[in-house]
Amino acid sequence: MSKIRLFVGFLILIFAVLGFTNLSFTPIYFDIPEGFPKPVYDFKNNPLTEEGFQLGRNLFYDPILSKDNTISCASCHLQQTGFAHVDHDLSHGINGKIGTRNALTLQNLAWSKNFMWDGGVNHLDVQAIAPITSDVEMNESLENVVAKLQKSKKYQDLFEKAFDTKKITGQLTLKAISQFVVMLKTSNSKYDKVLRSEEKFSEIEEKGYNLFKINCATCHTEPLLTNNSFENNGLSVDAILNDYGRMKITQNPKDSLKFKVPTLRNIEFTFPYMHDGRFKTLNEVVKHYNSGIQKSKTLSKQLEKPMNLSDNERTELVAFLKTLTDKEFLFEKRFSYPKEIN
Amino acid sequence: MIKNLFFCILFSLSVVFAFAQKEKDSLYLKLNIKFGTIRLELNKNNISKNHDTLQISLLKFYLSGIEIEYNNKTTFIQKNSYHLVDIENPNSLQIPICKKNDKTISKIKFNIGIDSTASVSGALAGDLDLQNGMYWAWQSGYINMKIEGKSSNCKTRKSEFQFHIGGYSQPNYAMKIVEIPIEKLQIPNNEIKVIMDLGKLFSAINLKEVNSIMIPGKEAMKIADLSAKIFSVE
Repeated sequence: MSKIRLFVGFLILIFAVLGFTNLSFTPIYFDIPEGFPKPVYDFKNNPLTEEGFQLGRNLFYDPILSKDNTISCASCHLQQTGFAHVDHDLSHGINGKIGTRNALTLQNLAWSKNFMWDGGVNHLDVQAIAPITSDVEMNESLENVVAKLQKSKKYQDLFEKAFDTKKITGQLTLKAISQFVVMLKTSNSKYDKVLRSEEKFSEIEEKGYNLFKINCATCHTEPLLTNNSFENNGLSVDAILNDYGRMKITQNPKDSLKFKVPTLRNIEFTFPYMHDGRFKTLNEVVKHYNSGIQKSKTLSKQLEKPMNLSDNERTELVAFLKTLTDKEFLFEKRFSYPKEIN
Repeated sequence: MIKNLFFCILFSLSVVFAFAQKEKDSLYLKLNIKFGTIRLELNKNNISKNHDTLQISLLKFYLSGIEIEYNNKTTFIQKNSYHLVDIENPNSLQIPICKKNDKTISKIKFNIGIDSTASVSGALAGDLDLQNGMYWAWQSGYINMKIEGKSSNCKTRKSEFQFHIGGYSQPNYAMKIVEIPIEKLQIPNNEIKVIMDLGKLFSAINLKEVNSIMIPGKEAMKIADLSAKIFSVE
């Protein structure tokens, strides 16, 4: 009899514990596209769930992150343009203030070792605090963002669903944003499909691909189309911006004028190009590498000799670059403004 | 059934009491922040040995990695030991270390600042939460120490000085180790009273020349080195 009592008591204890535990998380499995390397992002420290992803998605599209509730992440990172800031050479934020760089694309961030044009940010989870606190972007403090979220019934519910707690913190806010942006994975361009033998390049694209492999792929390494390094690609210094890139972070003169090698995925739509958005078209970009390189001490070794491509070859290269467009990614409904929840 | 419920309640209560009991029996590190011989008060005039008249308006720093060495050569190392000290938050000046025991303490060790591992580990919780504002955004990394104030010697806007000290990678790794031997045989009131004397810090800084440090680098390393030398045990 006493054994039964003990057993019943034990059961009650278990139910009591379960009552406080939310078991309705829906795990998301982050699958690695064929041929892609192992991701850099450590998913063990931030296990992906559908609830966390949806919370992050709401935060990404919500101007509540900015001081006057006018600027969201999506203000400068638009899905249809590979999450870049189309048509603006320098991105603008709160009160129309203009920054010093062109907003980077948000693609395949799970494979990024560091973030921003100068690599100043060392982890995806702490990236968002840079635009949130920048006085020309969102001009807000994380502390105040958390206070605003804590007052919102919508976010109380979303945080509870995602993290099983009503207490919103900076850590959870940042991790939720990471859960959304780390899922922005593109691997279904024509280029990827050709690699997987599902499609074939046209003749001109094929020629362009061969030129690409010879002239560009050392830095824009396949299949991510970046080697995550910092290079001086021979752009003249803008006398007003005076932006020396990576050197500001490392304080090492060897890093003068070096900027992150960006991925080329969806490059057809991520214009304008370069860290200050100085080139509007892909033709201008190819022309720069072909004959516009400015020599300086830190110039990338790969660029010492001009490409010397003919007009036809330049057209072929651009034709290849357009095969990096992934329409499934650009129009994926799961990445768009979360209408169904609002 | 009711008995079992009673058992459950009893169990939960005992858990609560166990935790409460633990707090009472803890050994604490109690910080006594001074300027020279007097207790530091915010926004009040202090005079440094260099005859700088200065007011401190903000003082926050991380105290981390607490270790206690005993006479019998054993050591207690506090796990997940990151404490944000804010002179405006009295609770933060009393840091629980471990359960009190009869062993004689011979030394206390701690760091001023955050180690490089935590600095590259993304969004962390509690005192390390980025919402505490002790973090650089444009260049990742914790701000180990913030000291802000005013001095008539600063030829700056509103005569203000600001020291935001940090840096997690070499050669500008700004976390500093503080080691203080303890000679007393008994620790009164379960407290190790640690004095932090900002007077010593400001007697080594020429505010006319150095009044704004906001990035990791050589200047920050100088202040970090100095800041590790201003602690003592009462």
